[in-house]
Amino acid sequence: MAAAPQTQAQPASAAVKARQRRAREEELLVWPDLVFIEFICAVLFTILIVGLAVMVDSILLDRANPAVTPNPSKAPWYFLNLQELLLHMHPALAGVVVPTVALIALGAIPYWDNTAEGQGEWLSTPRAWLNLKVGAAVGAIGTTLLIFYDESKHIQVFEMIAGKDSWPEPLNFMRGLRGIQNEINWPAWTLDVPLGNVLRLDLLGLPKIELDWNIPGFIVEQFIPVNTMVGLPILLSLVAHKLKIAQTKRDHMILQFSGFIAVYVTLTIVGTYFRGEGLALVPYTIFADPSH
Amino acid sequence: MAATERPQGRSMGDRLYDAIFGNRLWRSIFRSGYPNTPRNQMLAVATNVFLHLHPTRIHRTHVKITHTFCLGGLSFFLFLGLTISGVLLMFYYVPSVDRAYTDILALETDVRFGQLMRNMHRWMAHGMVLTVLMHMMRVFYTGAYKPPREFNWVVGVVLLVLTLLLSFTGYLLPWDQLALWAITVGTNMVGSAPLLGEPNRFILVGGFQVGQAALTRFYALHVIGLPLMAAVFMMVHFWRIRRDGGLARPL
Ligand code: HEM
Repeated sequence: MAAAPQTQAQPASAAVKARQRRAREEELLVWPDLVFIEFICAVLFTILIVGLAVMVDSILLDRANPAVTPNPSKAPWYFLNLQELLLHMHPALAGVVVPTVALIALGAIPYWDNTAEGQGEWLSTPRAWLNLKVGAAVGAIGTTLLIFYDESKHIQVFEMIAGKDSWPEPLNFMRGLRGIQNEINWPAWTLDVPLGNVLRLDLLGLPKIELDWNIPGFIVEQFIPVNTMVGLPILLSLVAHKLKIAQTKRDHMILQFSGFIAVYVTLTIVGTYFRGEGLALVPYTIFADPSH
Repeated sequence: MAATERPQGRSMGDRLYDAIFGNRLWRSIFRSGYPNTPRNQMLAVATNVFLHLHPTRIHRTHVKITHTFCLGGLSFFLFLGLTISGVLLMFYYVPSVDRAYTDILALETDVRFGQLMRNMHRWMAHGMVLTVLMHMMRVFYTGAYKPPREFNWVVGVVLLVLTLLLSFTGYLLPWDQLALWAITVGTNMVGSAPLLGEPNRFILVGGFQVGQAALTRFYALHVIGLPLMAAVFMMVHFWRIRRDGGLARPL
């Protein structure tokens, strides 16, 4: 479209750190170059959308009926990742704390990685692609394995090999996350610790805590999930640092962001296609009838 | 159209051109003719209320499709398309639990192009969630969030949240089983937060369960509250792109 010769970006030598004067010969006029592209884009997408809308009708099920709960009931697809999390931890954690923290962390990215490195070009730093791949792979595989663990898939695999009911009794607490709560003989007192009598906030003039604390429940629903969600990414960065995969801030950022996207996508896919009746893990339901 | 070696006399094309673009009506709308000198092309952008969101010049690397994949522009385009199709849908839709569902049914069966309008609105809505997410990824992987663009990234995150909320509030409006239960599941997630969760859910839903109050609230948010907020943040977003010196490029 433009006649001027293709010029390479300047090598980022340390001496030329300061922003160069805007090189006029490197610039194009918005009219017509950009306006033209925008116009073509808009036309193509109008055609695409009209085509899609002619061919595929949107769903309309029966009239809303509060008395009939469909099984499974699912949130819109872009929230199914949260709904999937909900199955593995305390609802307050999955439904509110995780999305809030995730959004704040997302917004904080530029304040943490404020280097100028790799700016304005696709994955241009030396280890960018490597970190993208490692982060995405660890995120996707790790999430899948964690879900499999919580759904006792490892038991199924073990018993397929070693025979029916062969999972050793003493290891029952490893059947899934809930196993820690249900398969261990917790002393009775751990099930409701009257927090108000332990943490005597009333002595400090604050209101007395009225809460019976269920320690095993707390461990399974909050302590382990929080530590997994915070710990595994930190571990990933530490290991990547040791192995010299991630060396700069930008490297770590790409690693973590790619991991986050992979986790997000994996959870969405599992929540959308692999959760059937009662939200049980089922093989593939993409072709299931949406009307029940 | 170089006018150097032209034979004498005005051709048919020239006269037609003048008739279309030289008449008083056209001139009253577009004060000048086609901008065919660089100076006029810059003025065309700078003086047009719609085009002046752009700078007058941009760096050559940024018109390559593969730099942005047009994703931010497409998000905006879909937002505009959703506004137009949404207004058309409003002609036929009354947000009442008695009427909402039958209005949608009537829209699909009785209204000319009603089904098409609904389909377009729905696919564009899903599409916008996707393009915004992908736009965020493109900005991240091109390192375009770095100083001085930190704040525009934050504005972007707000736009992402608004986009999700727009889609979520729209989900309830057809008032079918899918709508009711998706919103019930979604708002219950809000309700599970410690301390403020239940009060917040109550405010959002306007009662103990998703009913008329929820429909009214979601409708108001969907057709006016959230789009206005999104429009304001988009203005800031675009303005900041220019103030930050155009799109990011290598130092
Ligand atoms: C409704 C949603 C959004 C709209 C309509 C929108 C629109 C745009 C447009 C038109 C551009 C110009 C370049 C391009 O097309 O890529 C842009 C750039 C940018 N956007 Fe967005 N955006 C949205 C959401 C977001 C989100 C979610 C983020 C990040 C979290 C974000 C961060 C940025 C940044 C930092 C730039 C500057 C990029 C650069 O300098 O290369 N935007 N946006």
